[in-house]
Amino acid sequence: MITGMDRLAAAARGEILDRIPVFCNLVDQGARELGMPLETYFSRGEYVAEAQLRMLGKYGHDNVWSLFYVGREAELLGCRKIKYANDGPPNVEDFVIKSYADIERLEVPDDISTHPAFAETAHCLEILKREVGGKAPICAYLTASMSLPAILMSMEKWIELLMLGPTEMRDLLLEKCSAFFQKEIEAYRKAGADVLVYADPYGSTDIVPMSMFRELSLPWMKRDLAAGGLDGVVYYVGGARVNGVLDQVIEEVGFGTYYPGPMDDIGESMRLVADRALCGAVINDIRLIDWTPEEVRAEVKRLVQRGLKISKKLFFGTILMPFGIPDANIRAMIDAACEFGRPDRLEA
Amino acid sequence: MLDDILRAYTEAIYNADRTTALAVVDAARASGVSPEDIVFKVVIPGLDMMIKAINDGFDTNLAQHFMTAHIAADVTDRMLAQFARPPEMVGHVVIGTAAGDLHTLGKRIVMGCLKAQMIDAIDLGVNVPAERFVDEAVARGASVIAVSAMMVHTARGENGAIKVRQLLRERQLEGRIRLVVGGAPFRYDPRLYQIVGADAWADNGVSAARVILDFIKEARS
Ligand code: B12
Repeated sequence: MITGMDRLAAAARGEILDRIPVFCNLVDQGARELGMPLETYFSRGEYVAEAQLRMLGKYGHDNVWSLFYVGREAELLGCRKIKYANDGPPNVEDFVIKSYADIERLEVPDDISTHPAFAETAHCLEILKREVGGKAPICAYLTASMSLPAILMSMEKWIELLMLGPTEMRDLLLEKCSAFFQKEIEAYRKAGADVLVYADPYGSTDIVPMSMFRELSLPWMKRDLAAGGLDGVVYYVGGARVNGVLDQVIEEVGFGTYYPGPMDDIGESMRLVADRALCGAVINDIRLIDWTPEEVRAEVKRLVQRGLKISKKLFFGTILMPFGIPDANIRAMIDAACEFGRPDRLEA
Repeated sequence: MLDDILRAYTEAIYNADRTTALAVVDAARASGVSPEDIVFKVVIPGLDMMIKAINDGFDTNLAQHFMTAHIAADVTDRMLAQFARPPEMVGHVVIGTAAGDLHTLGKRIVMGCLKAQMIDAIDLGVNVPAERFVDEAVARGASVIAVSAMMVHTARGENGAIKVRQLLRERQLEGRIRLVVGGAPFRYDPRLYQIVGADAWADNGVSAARVILDFIKEARS
């Protein structure tokens, strides 16, 4: 039987076995699957693992996730307060950095794999690895040094520091965030994650000007990834656009996989990548709430076919699927991606 | 001369270059341009030119929006202190993030641009209950309620903009108070503002001030 792992490996070589890999970022939906409140759900690694496995069986996509919520990374750095919701993802409520003195005080844990705030994630990964390791790609979410400060001090204070200085504080914080990233990727690899999503919205010129992208975003990407290497690492900018920087990132960093945003034209992304790497056809998953299943199907078909016309180094993907997406639309999306993600379904 | 000043100022904000923008303003003041002219003939037209550039399809980024608002608010504050007479406020707005939402950056950008337009923006903070939006709007005589939300569940949630609309209807305030929304989910789904019952939305914080100003002018006429 062909597995998700086989499909992913084939796609990276520019081949399609039965169909393209279908990646689905189902995260909060796990709580509904287990019939529990989100806060309870995120309290235990075994809940998250169990729900990921159930959803994999139920929907038939290719990957599982070890991500609980992004705020977990802030918890590893001392955040003590998370705001839970009944119908959406949890958010950081207490910012670790409230003043510049807090940047100086910020301590990067020496070993993340043994950190108490990593224990449930590690447990989740252990179960996923035992159950589907080597068959379904196990994904992890890691925030880049340029973007992590947004959840340590707020997006507002981080852009203020970036744009107005003081630069010494900016650089000190980036140093610490990069050191954290390097420890984190090591811990995730050790715990069994295969696909390491490098989340860097500040690596998109939707967020920062091109000059800053060149002066800070690119060099810090290289710093983050120098020690651990690029194996399994995916360039992802949180749903913003990447086409404007794709060529530079490929040339200067050379990730193996790129994750455009729904506002990027997939045809353009594929042309820019030009077979140098694997690239995603990514749906605007916020629209999945109101579209009819027929509309979902038509949009998936459009995206996948537009990508496949240019190259087979393609996978289908979502950003961070909102909790409110109806089940029928999740099914319609995955079914359509499986159906149209084959060269023999390509229409002229 | 004002044309040249405006051109230099606009170029600086387009480059998110605060130092140059402030230098342009200082040089203009030194050459005798009044603080009133700086605000009404440089800062506000500068915002309008930014909006026009965005509408014409020029790609702008978040850092530019942030700096445009920051510089506009900063210059306006400094000029106001030097005005011959305190200017009359054009109108009042209450602004906050939706119930459950803690993300402040969008609100800050909108507020910075409103300040330069001489609109009194009353900041209700984060995680604002719908009742408070409406109560404060009434108490402060605001003609617009502005709600910012960065996530889908806070943009669409039953305690967010949807409830503000419901309260406005129940209290028969719809003729007097407009509801304007914004934030990431609205950008990914341009029809979402209607689904949550808002009167308008804007794709970025600079254009937001224009949308709000139009409603204020409508309320005054
Ligand atoms: C940067 C970013 C991150 C960073 C920083 C997040 C943060 N702010 O704390 C990181 C990588 C850490 C991150 C994490 C998460 N993110 Co995020 N992120 C983004 C990204 C790329 C930009 C968001 C941002 O802050 N923009 C800056 C603000 C100012 O922009 P804005 O809100 O759109 O505001 C602009 C306009 O909308 C307008 N505006 C704003 N307010 C108002 C108000 C009025 C009245 C008007 C008229 C206009 C207006 O003006 C602003 C610009 O000028 C977006 C995707 C995107 N391209 O937008 C996703 C996005 C916001 N993230 C999303 C999510 C889900 C998350 C997480 C909750 C994921 C998770 N499960 O943990 C976490 C939350 C972390 C936390 N807070 O605890 C989703 C939200 C949608 C959804 N599915 O619910 C988005 C939209 C991505 C997507 N398409 O799925 N994220």
